[in-house]
Amino acid sequence: MKKWYLTAAILMMVSTTISISCKKNKNSPSDNGMDRKPMLENYANNYIVPAYADMVQQLSILKTSVEAFAANPDATTQGAAQTAWRSAYITWQKVDLLEFGPAFDKSLRTYMNIYPVTVSKVEGNISSGSYDLETFGSKDAQGFPALDYLLNGTVLDKYTTDPQAANRKQYLVAVASKMLQKVTEVRDEWDSYKNTFISSTATDAGSSLSQMANNYVLYYERYFRGGKIGLPVGAMSGVAKVDLTEAYYTQDLTKELAITALNSVINFYSGKSYDGTSTGECMKSYLAAIGTKDDNGTLMADLITQEMNEALSGIQNLNGTLQDNIQNNRTAVLNTYEQIQEVVPLLKVDMVSAFSISITYTDNDGD
Amino acid sequence: MNKTLTNILSTQHFGKPVYSASLAVFRMVFGLMLLFSTIRFWAKGWIEELYINPKFFFSYYGFEWVKPLGDYTYILFIICGLSALLFALGLFYRIASVVLFLSFTYIELMDKTNYLNHYYFVTLVLFLMIWLPANANLSLDNLRKPNLSKRFVPLWTVGSIRLMMGTVYVFAGLAKLNSDWLVEAMPLRLWLPANNDMPVIGPLFNHTWVAYFFSWFGAAYDLTIAFFLLNKKTRPYAYATVVIFHLMTALLFPIGVFPYVMMVSALVFFDTKDVDKVLQKIKTVFRALPVNTVYNHYTFAPVQQRVVSTLFVVFFVIQFAMPWRYLLNKEELFWTEEGFRFSWRVMLVEKMGYAQFVVKDGVTGERIAVNNNEFLTRNQERMMAIQPDFILQYAHHLRDYYQQQGMEQPQVYATVYVAMNGRRSRLYADTTVDLAKQTDTWKHKNWILAFNDNIYGL
Repeated sequence: MKKWYLTAAILMMVSTTISISCKKNKNSPSDNGMDRKPMLENYANNYIVPAYADMVQQLSILKTSVEAFAANPDATTQGAAQTAWRSAYITWQKVDLLEFGPAFDKSLRTYMNIYPVTVSKVEGNISSGSYDLETFGSKDAQGFPALDYLLNGTVLDKYTTDPQAANRKQYLVAVASKMLQKVTEVRDEWDSYKNTFISSTATDAGSSLSQMANNYVLYYERYFRGGKIGLPVGAMSGVAKVDLTEAYYTQDLTKELAITALNSVINFYSGKSYDGTSTGECMKSYLAAIGTKDDNGTLMADLITQEMNEALSGIQNLNGTLQDNIQNNRTAVLNTYEQIQEVVPLLKVDMVSAFSISITYTDNDGD
Repeated sequence: MNKTLTNILSTQHFGKPVYSASLAVFRMVFGLMLLFSTIRFWAKGWIEELYINPKFFFSYYGFEWVKPLGDYTYILFIICGLSALLFALGLFYRIASVVLFLSFTYIELMDKTNYLNHYYFVTLVLFLMIWLPANANLSLDNLRKPNLSKRFVPLWTVGSIRLMMGTVYVFAGLAKLNSDWLVEAMPLRLWLPANNDMPVIGPLFNHTWVAYFFSWFGAAYDLTIAFFLLNKKTRPYAYATVVIFHLMTALLFPIGVFPYVMMVSALVFFDTKDVDKVLQKIKTVFRALPVNTVYNHYTFAPVQQRVVSTLFVVFFVIQFAMPWRYLLNKEELFWTEEGFRFSWRVMLVEKMGYAQFVVKDGVTGERIAVNNNEFLTRNQERMMAIQPDFILQYAHHLRDYYQQQGMEQPQVYATVYVAMNGRRSRLYADTTVDLAKQTDTWKHKNWILAFNDNIYGL
């Protein structure tokens, strides 16, 4: 019996020796893709930081053009503001999925893209001239959806001859400024948070991977699947509601926003840099290193890309605006929704389970 | 039966006198552990989070009447903590042990979301302790009533605690004898890389062979450790292994106080004579300590002995049978979890699920997609999505809720996906079955979809 313990002890020692020698051999890739630090570095340096930088730039342009429009409201300045809004809104689709860390702390999304906009609230704010965009209650009266209404859903007269034109212009600028302010804050926080993010390599609830993956999955499920397609088409309720669509006042843009969002989801998962020129360690490569497979022997890592791409072509294959399809081609949209939905368990169950993180925020014991 | 029992319990066999020091020390450390555990639970804010904030609680079959008590739940924990302290001190031991057993068990029964094998272990040990003379030594009761103090107790008293520990280990080991654990090294293959950022040993976890080593070592450890602890020669090594093994699990997995419970509980395996020696030595320094120094024996009254021993025999027969009850169902145990709990299946399966419920108005046909977070905490949702009895209880809750809201015939449908031990997630429940009409029984639930794979072994 003593021998048995001796054997165990020797095995333990052997394993420790190997681990130490593995550590010394830094040149050889002994981590076989399972180290989380390179993944976090790639995300922080090559996607997240450039993404916020771009967003800040886009919103600066938007703010300038909105101010120019407010100073001199005519068709030209309005058109310029609309163009800037459009471009920034598309960029936002690449940033929205990053609601963890500083963005999570600041609830960035509530200042940027809660839709549908509550028009009565916007109009109320304009006529009273007193509002606080900082408060949670203002979330559906600001951001891109409010600008959509103010720039694309409001006639020019309201900015010129209307008795409340001054108030309206002021509100318009205030909304654009708030957006820039919030994204700038998040960008600045990432400067110092970046190191924290990269060095938090564990897998517990507070770790970078857990927070990133949790909010990524949450984004996909609630804000992409639900917000952009599910709620407007009435996938669950059975009742289509076109007025719930994103960019409701600019219907030629809605589908493009959804496509950009899903593309970003795919790119982020696959470790593409923000500018798309390079690829690095990512959730996909980490999942591939863990090596879970489906019954046919396909890596789950690849299967997820496959299913996401199918969902993407589903949206791309819808001809005309999303609103038009929801009203006149609802079955096709529902089929697309099903394709999008098929990815949810793959992310929320398969990926998260293989990562040994959990979708819970309750930090309790397990056994 | 009575005659055999009397014979077995005679002073030659299970009734052989052993030093009461072991049982007393066990009582003390176990009580202190529970006191610490109660304080820790409170300090972490878990009383509020797990028993006050949730709007709904998952009950155990037959214990639907056990519910959290709102703000009075704190008083329940105070009672539990205080009785644990009295239990440790050996003051008013009999009452304290009964109150501790009842309050601890009540807490565990309030919501099965929080079921943990080691809480169940504590409940069982506390039940045994009620009947044992664990205050015969090293207890304040000895100061109160000096004639309670006894140097010797029958072997079976300490023996039953050892048997309980052994049961836990052996069954935990048997549960590991399956193809997922031994052949695939699942789930350790997933769990170990998650710790690869640990200093020194971390990089080791990137290697598959390490997962195999841990799996096989873990199974061998569980199956044999109790026997090595019983054997005088191997005991010191075995206890060292217990400490290292459980420290390792404490490092790797979020299993709270369990490793420490097992580490201190395993002390009960030490030779009672040695424990007594230690106490005698301490006594020479701390003279006031109520340590018995005379030679006297604790004896059960014949009737008492017969009642307690019969009770214990029944208790252990049930314990040995419980882990096998899953054999009554043909389906894969890990998949259906029918007969999974109360069987020492500890850290055995990686399972994650996702459950989307839809409530359909049977009259108008209107459908409502349920946001689980309106009814359940994240933790409850997580546990619900992988266990059929939870799914059913929740479905019934939804049915009752929407009925109260004025829906006449609510039907409840669920789309549940479950991934297990690295397999691709698959549909878990029949999406066409109205769960509102299904009842929870001990029989197999036919609406659970087939696993479509095989796990061999126990």
